[in-house]
Amino acid sequence: MSMRRGFALAETDLRSFDRRESAHCHVQKPDRYRLIEALPDDVQRISRGSGVSYIGASFADGCVVQDLSAFDRLLDFDAQSGLLTVEAGARIGDVVRFALAHGWLLPVAPGHPRASVGGCIAADVHGKNPARDGTFRQHVEAIELFDPSSGWLHLDRNHNAERFSACFAGFGIPGLIAQATLRLVPASAGYSLRSVAVASLVEAGEVLLAHAGAPLLYGWHDGRANRFGRGVVRFGLESKEPMTRRSRLAADLPATIKPWPWCAWNRTGIAAMNRLIGHRYGPGQVHVAIESAMFPLNDARAYYAGFGAEGFVEAQWLLPHARYADFVGSLEGEVARQRPRISLIASKLFDGQAQGFGFDGKGIALAIQLPQPKARTQAAFIASLTELALLHGGRPNLIKDSSLQADAAQRGIADFAACRERLRIFDPQGLQGSMLTRRLGL
Amino acid sequence: MTAIVVGASSGLGRALAVELARSGKPLLLIASDARDLDALAGDLRLRFKGEVASLAMDLAASADPGAHILARLTDMSPPTALLLAVGMSRSDDDGTLGAGAIGQLLAINLHAPIAIAHALLPALLEAKGTIVGFGSIAGARGRSRNIVYAAAKRGLETFFESLRHRHPPSSLRVQFYRLGFLRSNLTFGLKLPLPIAEPEDVAGKVVAQLQQGSFDRYEPRWWGMIATVVRSLPWFAFRRMKD
Repeated sequence: MSMRRGFALAETDLRSFDRRESAHCHVQKPDRYRLIEALPDDVQRISRGSGVSYIGASFADGCVVQDLSAFDRLLDFDAQSGLLTVEAGARIGDVVRFALAHGWLLPVAPGHPRASVGGCIAADVHGKNPARDGTFRQHVEAIELFDPSSGWLHLDRNHNAERFSACFAGFGIPGLIAQATLRLVPASAGYSLRSVAVASLVEAGEVLLAHAGAPLLYGWHDGRANRFGRGVVRFGLESKEPMTRRSRLAADLPATIKPWPWCAWNRTGIAAMNRLIGHRYGPGQVHVAIESAMFPLNDARAYYAGFGAEGFVEAQWLLPHARYADFVGSLEGEVARQRPRISLIASKLFDGQAQGFGFDGKGIALAIQLPQPKARTQAAFIASLTELALLHGGRPNLIKDSSLQADAAQRGIADFAACRERLRIFDPQGLQGSMLTRRLGL
Repeated sequence: MTAIVVGASSGLGRALAVELARSGKPLLLIASDARDLDALAGDLRLRFKGEVASLAMDLAASADPGAHILARLTDMSPPTALLLAVGMSRSDDDGTLGAGAIGQLLAINLHAPIAIAHALLPALLEAKGTIVGFGSIAGARGRSRNIVYAAAKRGLETFFESLRHRHPPSSLRVQFYRLGFLRSNLTFGLKLPLPIAEPEDVAGKVVAQLQQGSFDRYEPRWWGMIATVVRSLPWFAFRRMKD
């Protein structure tokens, strides 16, 4: 590729956060708008924000990766209405901190503070209580998008509405998201965060439903056969009292975490970690800053490093309420039979409507993280889990699970083919592609 | 009070703008693309709550860029610092360029900085201000690559030497940095034989030195030793150096 058009391409290996997908890529790192446009129109490409997706959503071999990390600026803020316009490479942690400093809050933010706004749109991420706040799409008012053939487009609910909608869980296919206007909500002074012990995932589901209106609501659970589902459901209530003591805020989790030379999450390590979680987050109430409540992964650096070089997989499935208890029973039976190593199970409540490839609907989502997913017993359990989830009407989260294959995604998303067609209307030449879109045939 | 950054949209210029905004200086940012300027100015206003104005101007196409800047300054506080972080290089600058491309390189790397400096000199002298220029290690010795670029940077170096000769530091601080490899869009992905400097680090040093008299120096400083070695090489040895 010629450099005469004003941009340089680096050749480098990129790897997903779960360490399961990697590719040798050509990377462009534009720092001016004209350099975004400079890539020849017929070049296959994919946008990359911070590159912290669990899976290979922002790279693929044979595609030019357009790294938008230089487009990380806050552009405009209306302190009356709470509308904040940012560039797509702006990191969600920076956005949240800016908003909080001005008395506002972005209600939906993923756990990794370095996730980019563009990535949050492309994956239509959920936050700490999707049942209350929905997914990221509910908080975006407008998008500025670059399409290689159409040029720059303004998208909102009234202009280019279909393309605007397609950007959410569109995985970059509708074009390069360059800017977005976010709608913030007034922030409280802090959260009063309470933990309720639960003995099972079914009980967790009941507790989640009982606190559906809380701004923070999620569960962490033990995945071991003899203690399956035990854990805590944490829910945060808005505190009217200002925090009297400034709690220590952990530094942002790095975009890449150097793995330990061995996998710490063997049976002993998992037992120790579950004891630690039980000790740190046991029943009770704490008063916390909103920022630290929004980014619990900042305390999880050792947890991710502990997966070692072989990485991990997170399978996340949304189960309809009517099938949830059956699914949990079957899953518990499968865990007892196969005894996989599950490092953590997280539970969340959803009360939205599935749109496109987005992860939404009405039910309870379980995210199940497993170390060493290529190991025979682990891989066998992941296959069983996928089958069980599909049998119980589960919907997969495409942006989390690198073990998910096209056939399972097509079974888990009823209108898969129609969704794909609606998305590819905006990219008829198939210029936008990633490991994710190729693996799932999007 | 106003600091002017020419070439503010990327690399060192953008880093200088951030550093100056952090220090609370009113800013006038100049670059060719209004989209980049609007984004940077908006960000600096929101993050640092300072006064930030911008001027989009194609330096290669403007015969008198200084006049445009003076016109833009009319409703701003007087300039006290001019930082000429503008620059352009081409990978095909190897002796094969046409006249148009040569003119563009000379306009951006030499004519525009000199013309802007001349136009703003009276105001900078009145304010006992600072003018900062940026050269390149490429200008240390003529080579078969970056031919026009290096010639322009060497010319700029001479211009700053003349300024320093004419104006004592008590009336105008004249500072010239010869930069080594700097991380930018154009060095992204290149395998370079020596360490690359981060624009943010260089910008921090430049802004910290704004009140520190007149000088010319390498940045990072160890590039001075490299340049001395390169310049002292006998011709027969230097000719063989291709990287």
